[in-house]
Amino acid sequence: MDSPKKTDESRRRFLAGAAGAGTLAALGESATLREALAQAAPAPAAPPGTVTNEAIKAGKVPAMQYHSERPLTGSVPAFEQNFEFTPTDRVFVRNNLLTPDLDITTHRLTVKGLVDKELSFTVAELQKAFPTVTVAGMLECAGAGRTNYLPQASGTPWGPTGGMSCPVWTGVRLKDVLAAAGLKGDAAHVAGQGGDPGAVATAAPVIRSIPMSKAMDENTLVAWAMNSGPLPKVHGYPLRLVVPGWVGSASTKWLQSLTVLDAPFKGTYMTSSYVTPKWPVKPGEKMPPDTVSTQAWPVKSMITFPAPDQPFKGGERITVRGKAWVGEGSVARVDVSFDEGLTWHRAELERERDKYAWRTFSYDHVPQRFGYLTVLARAADDRGNVQPITPYWNPLGYFWNGIHRVGVMVVPA
Amino acid sequence: MSRPDAIRAAALAAALCCAGALAQEDRLISGPGSTLTENKCKICHELQHIRRARLSPGEWGDNLRNMKERGTPMTDEEMRAILEYLAVYYNRDQPPPAPSPDTLAASGDDPIQTLLNANACNGCHAPDKRVVGPSFREVAAKYGSDRDAPARLATKIRSGGQGVWGAVPMPPNAAIQDADLRRIVAWVLEQK
Repeated sequence: MDSPKKTDESRRRFLAGAAGAGTLAALGESATLREALAQAAPAPAAPPGTVTNEAIKAGKVPAMQYHSERPLTGSVPAFEQNFEFTPTDRVFVRNNLLTPDLDITTHRLTVKGLVDKELSFTVAELQKAFPTVTVAGMLECAGAGRTNYLPQASGTPWGPTGGMSCPVWTGVRLKDVLAAAGLKGDAAHVAGQGGDPGAVATAAPVIRSIPMSKAMDENTLVAWAMNSGPLPKVHGYPLRLVVPGWVGSASTKWLQSLTVLDAPFKGTYMTSSYVTPKWPVKPGEKMPPDTVSTQAWPVKSMITFPAPDQPFKGGERITVRGKAWVGEGSVARVDVSFDEGLTWHRAELERERDKYAWRTFSYDHVPQRFGYLTVLARAADDRGNVQPITPYWNPLGYFWNGIHRVGVMVVPA
Repeated sequence: MSRPDAIRAAALAAALCCAGALAQEDRLISGPGSTLTENKCKICHELQHIRRARLSPGEWGDNLRNMKERGTPMTDEEMRAILEYLAVYYNRDQPPPAPSPDTLAASGDDPIQTLLNANACNGCHAPDKRVVGPSFREVAAKYGSDRDAPARLATKIRSGGQGVWGAVPMPPNAAIQDADLRRIVAWVLEQK
């Protein structure tokens, strides 16, 4: 990247600037400091051993909308996910700490805690030891859709459909790995820890635990591939947990250890972050003492076609398409409305394949009038839950699963 | 480079510089405690996270406790001062007062302290005790008075680093102005 020419130019620019400032002589420093200042200018914007935001962004489509640089957070709007599954360069980005630059040949996963024997695998060993499985599954930040809450809660300002993706994962089943280690009688939770460093040494490690019932689900993976390619660094290379349907933080990236526990892990990412009030609070109130750790996402849907403000000719058929999913259970139906919810029409819903993957719905509509037309989608699950008009407000802005609404223009032909 | 080219280049450089300055304008409303708040919060994240969502004092209290658990290096006293600041300037239920000088900032009129605060050095370093990173005195002693000490320290400040003082990484400060960097380097090396 740094051609000698560029370096020379930046040095000239610097020298020109320094001559005006006239402070170098006063410091009694000459060539070496000047050299250092000129050379250090194009410094990597990341500490050693971590990946720069520029490198991460290079692997993403230009449509990716970034909300912050430290930590890097970004996602594409719903209409940019109008694919069967989310392409890798459109999967949302959200870390708690920094993105480590790990070596797949030396990286190890250890399995410890309440197990009969501790195990340690390289990625290659893991691939050889257990059957490889490939499943599509939802990955969704607990705060996805947060900006829809009023009043605003602090945290990544995900838009109505930001912070959610459904790629295809390849790895081994977590339950196979745990079985190889042998679970002790009181094993109840599994905690994943990643190798991501914080900006300061005092940074608490990101550790989340999941109950054994979810750990034993055949869709819960230790994965090394996304959409048939190696995991991008920002998505956990070389190894990550995939706990589909549950809040994204359960799917530990850069997975380096699995610890079997007799109770939920007690740490800040279990007890202070990723929690909701046990009982709903009045909007704007602080977190009450009784909280629950976030797990499965409630039923939700989004419209991936049409895009907002897309123009249609009068009499032209609009084939509405979208995605529907639920963190546990099964999507039972999706309804769409073209009159702000006055009447609803049952959409066609693709059959269920992988349990935790989103499912595509579609509905053909021929507008009967000109002007602004809104499309609403509302999903229901097999347990009688339906997307609410207003999801319960909570202090950290989690689990927003309100109705997605897209407006288009119908113009004379 | 021909003269018109040079002018164009200069204009472009000026435009880029302004654009950069605007993009880097990540500040909080000035007031008692604003500098401390900026210094501590900027260690890990941009300040827009604070500006974006005004919260109630109770929520700010939870938020600060959460951040301390996550590893923000701050004393209880500092946390109280930050909470007081946020509860006044970023309170959901009342508009913020007009900006005023940060009377709590150690800088006063000291230009070096102003620089150390503006670049968040004071979030992790103190004159003679370890906070997150080494004290300025320790840094000065370590770099000594070698001819290349200023150059090495300047590179370290700009690029960040890890391993010199332990596993603690120092984040890079790529955006710091050359002139400011020179002044900070010179001051730090005088602290032994």
